[in-house]
Amino acid sequence: MIIAERRPIPEILRNIENYQKILVLGCRGCVAICSAGGDREVSIVAEAIRLARTLQGKPIEVLEDTFIRQCDPEYLEPLKDYQGKVEAVVSLACGVGVNLIADLYPEIRVYPGVDTSFYGANLSLGEWVEKCRGCGDCIIDRTAGLCPIARCAKNLLNGPCGGSQGGRCEVRKDMPCIWHEIVERLKARGELEKLLEIWEPKDWRPAGGDGLRVRVREDLRLNGGKKPWR
Amino acid sequence: MEEKGFKLSILCCNYTNLSEREDFFEVPVSLEIKRYPCSGKIEITDMLRALREGAKGVMVAGCMPGTCHNGRGSERAEKRVLGARKILEEIGLEPERISMFFVNRLDGEDFINKVKAFYREILNFELKGRERK
Repeated sequence: MIIAERRPIPEILRNIENYQKILVLGCRGCVAICSAGGDREVSIVAEAIRLARTLQGKPIEVLEDTFIRQCDPEYLEPLKDYQGKVEAVVSLACGVGVNLIADLYPEIRVYPGVDTSFYGANLSLGEWVEKCRGCGDCIIDRTAGLCPIARCAKNLLNGPCGGSQGGRCEVRKDMPCIWHEIVERLKARGELEKLLEIWEPKDWRPAGGDGLRVRVREDLRLNGGKKPWR
Repeated sequence: MEEKGFKLSILCCNYTNLSEREDFFEVPVSLEIKRYPCSGKIEITDMLRALREGAKGVMVAGCMPGTCHNGRGSERAEKRVLGARKILEEIGLEPERISMFFVNRLDGEDFINKVKAFYREILNFELKGRERK
């Protein structure tokens, strides 16, 4: 899932300092699962804004709502009901949600309430770890399912590097060296020769080097579709 | 005599204590006592709202760890107090204005003593604030 983290309240306050009525809008997708932008966090951020503005002597009316998702136009439809009723929206969705609101509702002033961090897994309550960088050209079929792009501090395609010591990363001693784990796992499976193959140079265009990433599936498009970047 | 405009909010577990306002006659402030089915049900929002509604300090009281009626409610409350304190720090308020207290279940004296100690701590913040003005 997409992992996000609440922005510091002063940063949120700075964006809305000139407004008297705003909406704090949550998302029940990834950000709710990672406890950054679901119903509970909407209520916390809204109350923090009210408290801070009351202390500043500039009380503010803060409405609260949470949509099922903010990354699909149909789920953003109810936002129309707030048009003209609030001066700004603080979205607790990931950057995708904020961008889509900005695209579809140019007249709405939308500000991010979270920083979008990475794609990660929820290992235990309150702990999330990056597992994928979304580079668009997966190589994990060759590396026992472990991704060196996301999990090696140097994004090496042919590790481990000389700094790997005792299975630990030299950049972050608290982190395991993912290349050490890849080698150990392949060795245990008797598949170490996989690493002897010479790989084609990795194609970085799907990682964003070719501009905005767009995926189109003609078999799913109806009525000719529309330009996917709009 | 009560200090005018000085309110403390006590958010506590229903099982922790049965003390009422009259038991705190030695604490000369307006006390608001809100009881919840469990301290684990007290949200960060409840703590912040109490401050916005005029409390100078918010005391969250739950059962001693290991004695919570619902298992780990008071430990959950303690974590939420940390979350609320982080927000107070960010907006420039003393984080200690929201504090967690573990109290012995149904031990009125323990509860009252902790309320008194909290009152003194918050009073210090208020006096320092007045000096700065």
